Amino acid sequence: MQGEIKNGMQCAEFEALLAEALDGALQGDTLARFQQHRDSCGVCGATYAEVSNGLNWLRELEEVEPPRQLVHNIVAATSGRAHTAEEAAGSPARRPWLHGQLAAIFGPMLTPRFGMSAAMAFFSLSLLMGITGVRLADLTPHSLEHRFYTSQAKVVKYYENMRLVYELQTRYRDLQRMTGASQENEEGRPVPHSQQNKNDSEPGRREYQNYTQEKNDVKQAVLPEFLPLMATDARQRRIV
Amino acid sequence: MALGATLSLSAGGSADASTRREAKLDEAQVVALLVRRCVSGDAAAWEEIVQRFNRRIYNVCYRFAGSYSDAEDLTQEVFLKVYRTLGTFDPQRAAFTTWLTTVARNLLVDHFRRTKYDRATDSLDATPPGTEEDGQPLVHRLADRSPGPENQVRNRERREVIQQALQKLSPELREAVILRDLQDLDYKEIAQVLNVPEGTVKSRINRGRAELARTLQRTYRQVM
Repeated sequence: MQGEIKNGMQCAEFEALLAEALDGALQGDTLARFQQHRDSCGVCGATYAEVSNGLNWLRELEEVEPPRQLVHNIVAATSGRAHTAEEAAGSPARRPWLHGQLAAIFGPMLTPRFGMSAAMAFFSLSLLMGITGVRLADLTPHSLEHRFYTSQAKVVKYYENMRLVYELQTRYRDLQRMTGASQENEEGRPVPHSQQNKNDSEPGRREYQNYTQEKNDVKQAVLPEFLPLMATDARQRRIV
Repeated sequence: MALGATLSLSAGGSADASTRREAKLDEAQVVALLVRRCVSGDAAAWEEIVQRFNRRIYNVCYRFAGSYSDAEDLTQEVFLKVYRTLGTFDPQRAAFTTWLTTVARNLLVDHFRRTKYDRATDSLDATPPGTEEDGQPLVHRLADRSPGPENQVRNRERREVIQQALQKLSPELREAVILRDLQDLDYKEIAQVLNVPEGTVKSRINRGRAELARTLQRTYRQVM
């Protein structure tokens, strides 16, 4: 078939000229011989039809539109120079100073790991605030100042109240001391032990007792009249 | 200005072959100047090169890979490689477009080899990449002749079918067809890019077109 000659043209020559014939580049005698061979040779005629159909199909394909950010991405990936054309990405043009100086500072922060950490920190803080009942409105300078003065007023008030209580306690002890001293003078003996124990917790009273003990050392050897039951038993065991 | 004028002429499609050749020459000179500026460290020149050629490379990548996301990644890869090797470009040996297309083609072939085993089996029943899924196989959608679908939708589906058929071609035929019929490179340039003789280029183009037509005929016969 390849070597078959029809109308002065071999099939191989026909095939070689086929592309140019479809481009419309054949002229004159060559074109005439090509057309004659196409019409007379069944195989070459079919081939011509197929190739021609394929070309027609391909001509229906249109150019596809590249993505708008493609140029920007390429330029950024190669020269690192910011693409100044605003239409490149459909977004506002990036400022060169942002890339030059701030990028060096904030560059490491613009990573997924940093973003994830920041998100986790934010989540934890908001969770903590939710649990403790702190609202964002409470964190304004005004409300913080208000909280400070309120707390200060409470502390001052508490302190003043404590002072009053201590003053009253002191007065009461003075009165007790005075009445205790007069009672001692009247009876000529100390207060019973059980009564002493009762007032031992009071520091004023203890001081007073010590003072009286210094004055009446001899009385320390005297057994008290009203001993507790357990103390009595112990003494009895010791005697036995 | 002169370049803009020549480009608009060539883009309009009304210029004859000689005018297009002149436009190409003018463009080649301008691009060679841009490359020189770029090699000497002019970032603006590089940006202009990217602006000027990203569309072409993206289209080559999309038509070859058949996926928008792959095409985007591959285009970036191509320009990264071009940026690194721009100093090796020799304007005396080939036009910048040819050199750029060669770089792209080599990367595409590498990508094809890399993804050879990852690729899902090609099927026209599969939903084409980057299209909306409506739950129906493509064949069924094509068979639907109800007067509902608009022309625009039908044309889009038709183009998707062609793209799918293009994906079924072998890489050798596909690249030849893409460079000739979609990128409008001449046979000499394609021969330079593919590093094969012009005769082989023409043969591959013919076989690619014929194979594509046969695949599409089978598809539509199946639909009907």
